[in-house]
Formats: sequence, structure tokens, C-alpha cells
Amino acid sequence: MISAEAAIARLRRDLAVVLGLKLALVGVVVLAGAADLLLEQPVIRPSLALAAAGVVWIYLSYRSVAGTRLVAMSPALIASGRYEQAERQIEEALRTFSLFRIVKLRSVYHLAALRQAQGRFAEAAALCRAVLARPLRGAAELERSARLTLAGALLELEDARGAYEALLGLYRHRLPLGQALELLALQTDYLARIEAWEQMVEGLGRKVELTELMPAVAGMRTQALLGLAARKAGRPRWAEYLRRRVELLGEAQELIAWRGAIGQLWAG
Amino acid sequence: MTESATGEFLDVRRLLEQSEPRAPVRWFGYAAGFLLLMVVLGALGSGGGGALVQLVAMVGMAGLIVAMGVVTWSAARIMRAEQEQMQAVEELIQLRRWSEAGLMLDHMLSRPARSAVMRVQMLLCLAAVLGRYHRYGDAIAVYDHLLGLEFEDEQSVHGLRLGRAMSLLHDERLYDADRAINELRRGPGAGESGGLALVEIYRDVKTGHPEDAIATFGEKLAAMRKQLGQRVADAYGLVARAHDLLGQQAEAQQAYESATLLAPEAELSRRYGEVAALAGRYRAAEAPGEET
Repeated sequence: MISAEAAIARLRRDLAVVLGLKLALVGVVVLAGAADLLLEQPVIRPSLALAAAGVVWIYLSYRSVAGTRLVAMSPALIASGRYEQAERQIEEALRTFSLFRIVKLRSVYHLAALRQAQGRFAEAAALCRAVLARPLRGAAELERSARLTLAGALLELEDARGAYEALLGLYRHRLPLGQALELLALQTDYLARIEAWEQMVEGLGRKVELTELMPAVAGMRTQALLGLAARKAGRPRWAEYLRRRVELLGEAQELIAWRGAIGQLWAG
Repeated sequence: MTESATGEFLDVRRLLEQSEPRAPVRWFGYAAGFLLLMVVLGALGSGGGGALVQLVAMVGMAGLIVAMGVVTWSAARIMRAEQEQMQAVEELIQLRRWSEAGLMLDHMLSRPARSAVMRVQMLLCLAAVLGRYHRYGDAIAVYDHLLGLEFEDEQSVHGLRLGRAMSLLHDERLYDADRAINELRRGPGAGESGGLALVEIYRDVKTGHPEDAIATFGEKLAAMRKQLGQRVADAYGLVARAHDLLGQQAEAQQAYESATLLAPEAELSRRYGEVAALAGRYRAAEAPGEET
């Protein structure tokens, strides 16, 4: 099982190696051209040097495709709860050489998503931060995913401020539906922690409709928090409606075990 | 919405044929061959054939490296565009915008898919849209085609079989549905499958075994809640019908109210004709107004 520190160290090393390799290949091409122009009898035939660079480039590109395929398989494994298999895929993707830095960054992000699913929130947060520390030009989707996972991990670690800062960066992006739902769940959780009940019940009807599109556990938890907010904000009909819904979707005891304050939805 | 430019709207046979991926071009081989040619040219040029031949070889090699970068970038861009289209279709289905989802799928499946994985995703969405339009026979054809692809992943196969069994029930092919359900029962993880429980409840309601439906509901409610989420409303609706068949009106009212608390009455009625029969006879739950 690879630790977060080892994965981050590997990422730094691999990105440095790839950058060095790309510069070396470009350097060979430039030097070969310059040698051919400036020298009567270059030490190495420029055409051979170019051919060697070309062969290396083709070979490394071919190897990189394998890494891309490995990275693509992890999310489905994590979503279906096959964590051991996902761990093996991700480790192999991290070990596999890739010319494409985004593939490496995505591997580290998938490891963060796996740790989040396993409840190892501190590691998930560290891995997301390592990804977000890199320039992510042309990888807006990766940045959004990393921010969402980071916010979720920090909320579980009771770092509301950190979660808020992670979420802030999302508002300049246009989110696809799945990520918009995830953002709604995280926002609701964050606002509940800081007891911003009035803010939580703004557009309540629309929010409740959106919770119906969420995965089972997230939908139930979000509706429970909205129900609590409705109760606190003096909207008893909504509180009652959401309480009844939540009772149909799952066990109240599990919700209270997750967030004690939700017990107030049944108080009195 | 009955015809596309190329024929019947969502003509399954046509879409299955036209969406078959083409064999990929093995461009690495061509690139290697071209590189070898440039190397040979370079060697010939240095032997006295002239600077021009050498120049051609060097330009060819440099061009190859640039071309490979461009091809890779272009392929990634096309793949990203297709993934965005796929994501758009999935969102339209989630938001129940069926006609728009159908139009996009008709367009996307009318040409060869870039990859087998993308094609499978599109076909799964197609089956969902066909179900919405109550074209269950066509949905079954899509599921049969997908099951013929022999996935290694057991969960995917289970999901496909569930979809197929549900479509068979909707299509009144009760004997085939019963066989399909028995096959699902023999599969791994059948005991914990909330989806299978829902299919069994529907079968029992359809075939006039309401007591069995109610018993299954009681045993498998926890699994259905965990796996179906908001769609557990379907189970409540079907159990309301089961109680109604037994003349247990109080229980039917309670179950119907639970179902309509979780899903709109119109949506439940559209999904199951058996639940539509309860509308007007039992009181549906109502959501509070925005300002209450």
C-alpha cells in the first residue's frame, strides 16, 4: 500500500524526469541541426541523432498510452467499492512511465479519491494539495475534482476554513451536473457546521429536487441537514416533510452517528 | 419525434450497426516505417548523394516528431469532446430531458464509435431512453446485444441483467422475465442486491402474488434503501399496489403516501401502470410551497 508521502515524492520525481527528458530530446534536435550547419564533420551524423531522438519519442509515447489506460480504470473500481483492485491499478499507474504530466497528476488524484473513500481524510487532503500545487492549465476537470475531494476531506477533519477556501476556487468554473451535486452537498455540510441556517434554506425547493439526483447516502445526508436548517430557520412544514423523507431513505441512528446535530430534527 | 434524417427515430438495428467501432489505424507502425526510411535516406545522402537528400531526411524526421505531437494532441481533443458529449447525454437522462437525450444518442450512435467503451456507455443510455418511451422490445434488444459482449466485470453484467429483466416485465414477457430473475438469483451477490429485490417485487405484483411482494419488501428494504436511494420510491409504490390487491386500504394508503413523498405521483404512474391504477384512489403526499 503506497503512502501519501511516497506518492507525492514519486510525482515530483517523475515530473522532473519527464521535463528533463523532453528538454533533452528537444536539445538533441536543436544541436543536430546546429552541428549540421556549423561543422564540416560533426562527431555524430545529425540524421542519426535525429533518428535516435525520433525512436526514443515514439517508444516513450507508446509506453505512455499504457499509463493512460490504467488511470482511466480506477474511478469505476473506487465507485463500486473494489478498493484493493483500485489500489493495485493506481500503484501500477504511478510506477508506469508517462510522457504526459496530466496522467501522473490524475493518478495521484485517484489515489486521493481512494483514500477519501477509505476514510483516510488526512492523506486524501495531502494528495489533493499536491495536485493543486501544480499548474493545471488545460486540466480544469482535474482541478475541480481535486478541489471537491479536498473540501470533503477537510470538512471531515473539521477544518471548515480550509474547506471554504477549497470551495471558493470552484465558483469560477462551470460545473457538470455530477460535480454541481457534489458541491451542493459540501456547501450544505459546510453551512451546517457554521450554523448558517437562513442561507441553507434559500431556494429550498430547488435544492431538495437536486438532492434526489445525488447518490443514496449523500442525498439522504443533505436532505437531513436541509431539514435541520428548515427547523432552525422557522420553516416547520419543510422540516417535517424532509424528516419524513429521510426516515424513508435510511436509519435515523446512522445519520445521528454521522452528525449528532441532526438528532434535533426529531427533538420535540 | 418519430424520424431522424436517416430513418426511424432510435432505430436500434441501424444504430447497433452504424456505431460499431472501426479497426484502429496502427499509426505507430507507419511512424516507425517512415522513420526508418528517413534514416536510410540520410545514410544515402551522406555517401555523396548530396546535401539535398540529407536535408530531406532531417526535415522528414523533424516533421515526424512534430506530426506525432499534433496527432496525439488532436486525438486527445477528439476524445475529450466525445466524453463531454457523453456526459451531456447522461445529464439529460438524469434531468429526465428524454427527447433531447434521444436526439443526441441518435446522432452519436449513427457513426462509428471511437472506442468500444464509449459505445457501451452510449448503448446503456439508449436502453434507458427506450424504456422511457415504453419501447421495451427495443430496450431488450440493446441489453441482449450488450450481454453478448461478455463483460468480465460481474457487477456490470448484473446491472445489465437487471435492466433486461425489468424490461421483460414491462413488456409482459412474464415467462422470460421469470427465467431471467432465476438466473440473477443464481449470480454472485444476489442476496444483497436491492435492484433484484425491486424486480422481484414488480414480478410478484404483476403475477398476482402480493403477499410475496410484501414479504420481499420487508426483508430487503435496507438493501434497497442503500442501493436505490430515492428510487426506493418505486418499491413503496409497488407495495402500495400489493396491499391494494389484498384489500388492505390503510396499508396501501401509507405505502402510497411514502412513495409519493419520495417521487412525483406522475413519474411513478409513468413508470408503472400498476401504480397508475392507484392515482385518485389514494391520497398522494405534497411538498410544501417554497414560501412555507
